[in-house]
Amino acid sequence: MTNLAEAAPVPGVQPPARTSIRGLIAQTEIDLRLFGMLVVLAGILLAFNILSGGKFFQPTNMVTLAVQASGVAVIATGMVLIIVSRNIDLSVGSLVGFIAMTYALLMTDWMPHLLGMGPDFPFRWAIALGLGILLGAGFGAIQGFIIAYVGVPSFIVTLGGLLTIRGLVWYLSSGAAVSGLDPGFQLVGGGALGSIGGTMTWIVGVIGCLAIVALLINGRRQRRRYGFPVRPMWAEATLAVIGCVAVIGLAAFANNNFWPKGLAERYATQNNIPIPAGGLLIPTGFPNPIMLLLAVTLVMTFIATRRRFGRYVYAYGGNPDATELAGINTRWTILKTYVLMGVLCALAAAIAAARLNGATLDVGQSYELYVIAAAVVGGTSFAGGIGTIPGAVLGAFVMQSLAYGLSFMGVNSPGQNVVAGIVLILAVGFDTFNRRRGS
Amino acid sequence: MRKRLAALATVAIMTFAACTSGGTASPTTGGGASQPAGSTAAACTVGVSWNNFQQPRWAAHDKPNIQKTVEAGGGTYIDADANLVNEQQLTDIDTLISKGAKVLILLAQSNTAILPGLKKAQDAGIPVIAYDRLIEDPGVVYITFDNVLVGKAEADAIIKKVPKGNYVLIKGDPGDPNASTFLPQGWDQAGLKDKVASGDIKILNGPDGTFTDAWKTEKAQSNMEAIIDNAVADGTKIDAILAENDSTALGVAAALTAKSYGYPPLSGQDGDPANLNNVALGRQYVDVFKNANELGKAAGALALALCAGTKPADLKLPSGLVDPAVAPAAGLGAQDFKTPNGTMVKSFILQPTPLTADTLQKAIDAQQVSKADLCKGVDAATAPAACK
Repeated sequence: MTNLAEAAPVPGVQPPARTSIRGLIAQTEIDLRLFGMLVVLAGILLAFNILSGGKFFQPTNMVTLAVQASGVAVIATGMVLIIVSRNIDLSVGSLVGFIAMTYALLMTDWMPHLLGMGPDFPFRWAIALGLGILLGAGFGAIQGFIIAYVGVPSFIVTLGGLLTIRGLVWYLSSGAAVSGLDPGFQLVGGGALGSIGGTMTWIVGVIGCLAIVALLINGRRQRRRYGFPVRPMWAEATLAVIGCVAVIGLAAFANNNFWPKGLAERYATQNNIPIPAGGLLIPTGFPNPIMLLLAVTLVMTFIATRRRFGRYVYAYGGNPDATELAGINTRWTILKTYVLMGVLCALAAAIAAARLNGATLDVGQSYELYVIAAAVVGGTSFAGGIGTIPGAVLGAFVMQSLAYGLSFMGVNSPGQNVVAGIVLILAVGFDTFNRRRGS
Repeated sequence: MRKRLAALATVAIMTFAACTSGGTASPTTGGGASQPAGSTAAACTVGVSWNNFQQPRWAAHDKPNIQKTVEAGGGTYIDADANLVNEQQLTDIDTLISKGAKVLILLAQSNTAILPGLKKAQDAGIPVIAYDRLIEDPGVVYITFDNVLVGKAEADAIIKKVPKGNYVLIKGDPGDPNASTFLPQGWDQAGLKDKVASGDIKILNGPDGTFTDAWKTEKAQSNMEAIIDNAVADGTKIDAILAENDSTALGVAAALTAKSYGYPPLSGQDGDPANLNNVALGRQYVDVFKNANELGKAAGALALALCAGTKPADLKLPSGLVDPAVAPAAGLGAQDFKTPNGTMVKSFILQPTPLTADTLQKAIDAQQVSKADLCKGVDAATAPAACK
């Protein structure tokens, strides 16, 4: 755990020797687990690129992959806290389905017919989103209450939730698919129009770069102030350069994804823009669901590592009895993890519904498995107390890159499932082996 | 007055006797007394065992039409819903028999698990209609839509629209024989196989297309996105998409929208309102629709005939009851049908209805979709006739 290592005063501990590569990396204090996962992800992408004869690694395809992973990744950030506090949530897929169906019915039926809010009512999509988030928090609170205060094991409560809530989805629409959401809502799902555009993407990239530098400077200052050892200057500089190159590079990469030809031409004729010889190239930039995922990841990381609630969750996961004896309201903490989970499910449901432009009976089905797999591949331990949010997000990307890559190569879903299952076991097996060796 | 009562009683007893050869009295058979005395056989109880009401079609279309037809013929309709549980369906069959059913219509949850129930009915001398799903037994009368014909209707429409070009094939769950065998057979009957062999049609996603776990819309969407990305990377254009059913077609249309790809002709089946809306919007070209109303009517009529003692081989649908465009292509009489296991059963195999933008009115007429749902978001200028 980097964070604990950062927080612990280590006077007298010598910085690791600079002689080996391992020593050099240790001096930069990079989280080796995360770094390893990035290498694995890059390896997978590279392998598919070679297998497909260079067709795979292109901005369009990577944007598709990222958007497909975003829903599961959003929920996985919450699953980390749940698993870290030695619980589980199996109901996320059903909850996503329920809230997605609620969004669809709100906008197609309930708002115009029951609430008198026609299609022209301002900010209908935002109101729907707000109601969905409240609904998710409500379901989370009910399950969290039963788990934390009544004391029923979370596996049972959320297994019950999985069945019950999926059943309720049927009652919402009698099993029928509902489609036709507000244009504003559809933008949540990405696509050419649901992206932030070229200029904004550059701005996000520059802000990201500045933020990395600011965090490094601030960290160094704080460490000086409290007398902690600081990284060598070369390590700080390397981190800043690598971080900035990565962020700006991602922005440039995303800006190499252009509007589909037909859409760009329609836009050009509507706005009387002459089409240049090479075709009108309008960069899409980062899609909205990825921006949402980015925001969720930052906020959740902040909550997990810098807020009291987050530290309680990790403390409880590390040692429940000690945490309770320390006077921490552990029940309230557990309940809150489920409320947070419900809110994240509502956000993921918005992405799923917006992408489908509606909802079907099976939206979100088996998300719980993908989400738990993402968290676990990302280094979250079922023993409790261990797991990081960026790790889970990367885990979701690793799993989805396999699914998308195999799909891209024309491998059918039974084959995709075989590979996903093997990778899950390999990842956790390798991790367990590494931890045992390390201790 | 007394004379009239006596006459009524006689009729009632006659009907009663005619209808209770199994020995159990049904409280509803008394209703038969109000029927003309001549049609005693019509005054019979038809028991229907549904495997589920979770899919909306059964309660919305099949049930009311069976009930209406049976009651119009003077019979009584009773039913039970097994809620997707095999054991429950066996219990339901017992209950229906003891409630006095003289004919059973079974929508089997599993065509093997239902066999003990079938045996019980046959031991009690009760004829059985296998409704929509085959039961492997020579004694049953099988009534359904032809799934091969559904596939043929999908591919006919698409191939007629796009005789040459790059096709994408989106199939359903790999474990479902409809997805892997029957529908693709229909596609081949419509000429897909020959056109692939002659090079007119090129399949972009492998020779067998892409299967979709559990026919999931989300899965079909992510698969289709990968296929579009692959085609764009190759610089090839997708000219047409054959999707086996509506839930997968919905995912394909969502992928096309997300990618702003435009809408190449796309097939589907089931007549789901969301998909019919897509047809009206120009996002799906054809939706092959199995008119469950007609299937229900036909089953109701056959049940009454069986009740009157007609042998399965002599069964004939009353002319004019079923829409001629839907009625079996082989004629109104019972046909022999060879099941996959080689059993011969008497069958009535109805024809599906392909719906395109031009023929959407049929969906409204069949009460498959309301005009408001069908035409949601449709631009008045380009609207199909059904939306004007």
